[in-house]
Amino acid sequence: MTRIALLILLLLPSTAVLAHDPVFGLGPHTLFKQGIEVHVGADRDAARNAGTTITSLELAYGLSANWTLRGRLPYVRTDRHDGETQMALASKYRFWRRDGLGVQQSASAFVNLQSGASAAARSGYTTNTTFGLAYGYESRRWYRWAALRYLNKGKGDSGQRLGDILFLDLVAGIRFRPTHYLEPDWVWMLELNGERTRRHAPNPGEQWFVSPGLMWTLRNFAIKTGVQLPLWSNLQNAHSRYRARLELEWHF
Amino acid sequence: MKILLFCLVLLAGSQALAAGTQYQLRVDGLACPFCSYGIEKKLMQTPGVENVKFDLEQGLVIVSVAQGIHLSEEQLDALIKDAGFSLRGVREIPAARAGGDRP
Repeated sequence: MTRIALLILLLLPSTAVLAHDPVFGLGPHTLFKQGIEVHVGADRDAARNAGTTITSLELAYGLSANWTLRGRLPYVRTDRHDGETQMALASKYRFWRRDGLGVQQSASAFVNLQSGASAAARSGYTTNTTFGLAYGYESRRWYRWAALRYLNKGKGDSGQRLGDILFLDLVAGIRFRPTHYLEPDWVWMLELNGERTRRHAPNPGEQWFVSPGLMWTLRNFAIKTGVQLPLWSNLQNAHSRYRARLELEWHF
Repeated sequence: MKILLFCLVLLAGSQALAAGTQYQLRVDGLACPFCSYGIEKKLMQTPGVENVKFDLEQGLVIVSVAQGIHLSEEQLDALIKDAGFSLRGVREIPAARAGGDRP
C-alpha cells in the first residue's frame, strides 16, 4: 500500500501551463520575448487509497517570442508521508503560428525533465521525461486545443520500470462576452483527458477524465482552476476519484 | 477673471502643440487581453512611447509617442514580432482622433 502511494508521486505529470492554455492539458502558448512569468500552483489528486497534494513555484522566461524556458519546484506530499521537493525544467518551442484578425493558431513542441529523490528509488534519483506536441486555436470567442504527451519514467527501487504514460487532451473553450483590454476576462473550458499506462507498470491501464475549468485574467495576471472527474477507468490498482488544480500567474 | 480665462486658453493651446505623434497599428493574432500584455510591455519599454491603447475587436494598437519621436515601420514590426503577433499595417494619426483602451 505504501509503495503504491509513493509510486503515485511519480505518476503525476508535470505540465508547463501558460495562459491561454488548458488547465490540465498542454497548450502551444509561449511567453513574449524577454518576458518573465511567476507561477504558483496547487494540485490535489484524491486517489482511493492515498491522496497527493503538490504545491509548486515556477519561473519562466521568454528567450524569444517562440521559445520559453521554465523551471519548476514542486513539493509533493501524500496523505500518508512527509513531502519531498522535486525539480523540473521544461522547454517549449512554438514552431508554427498563423495570425488573423482576432485569431491566432499555433503549434508547439515541448519537453520536460522532472527529477527528485523519490522514496520509490531510495538509492538515488529518478528522472521522468515528458515529450509533447500541442495545437491551439484562439479567437475572440472560441478556443480549441489538442495535445499529445508521452511520459517516460525512471526506474524504481528494485530497478523495475515504473510505466510510461501516453496522454491525449482535447479541449474546447468559450469567452461568452468578448472583453476589452483592461476588463476582467473569463474563458470557460471543458477538457477530455485520457491517460494510458503501459502494461509492465505497477498500475497499468487507461483512465479518462472530463474536466471543466476556468481562466480569469486581468491585464498581466491570471487565475486558472479546474477539476478532473473520472469518466472511465480500467486501472488494476488505485485510481483517482478526482483531481483539482489552482494556479496563479503573473507576467512581467 | 478674463485674465485667468485667457491664461487657461493659452495653456490648453500650448499642450496641444506639444502633443507627439500617434501610430495606429493593425495587428493580427490579438485574440485575448492577457496575451496582448506582451505588446504593451514591449512598446512601453521603447524610449519616447508615452501610452499604448488597444482595440481588440478591430485588431488595433494605438501608440502615442512624445514630440520629436519617430518610430519606423521596421522598428514597430520587430516589437510586435517579439510580442508574438503579426503587424499588418501602420498609420500615423492625429492625437485627438485616437480611441481604444487606455492602460
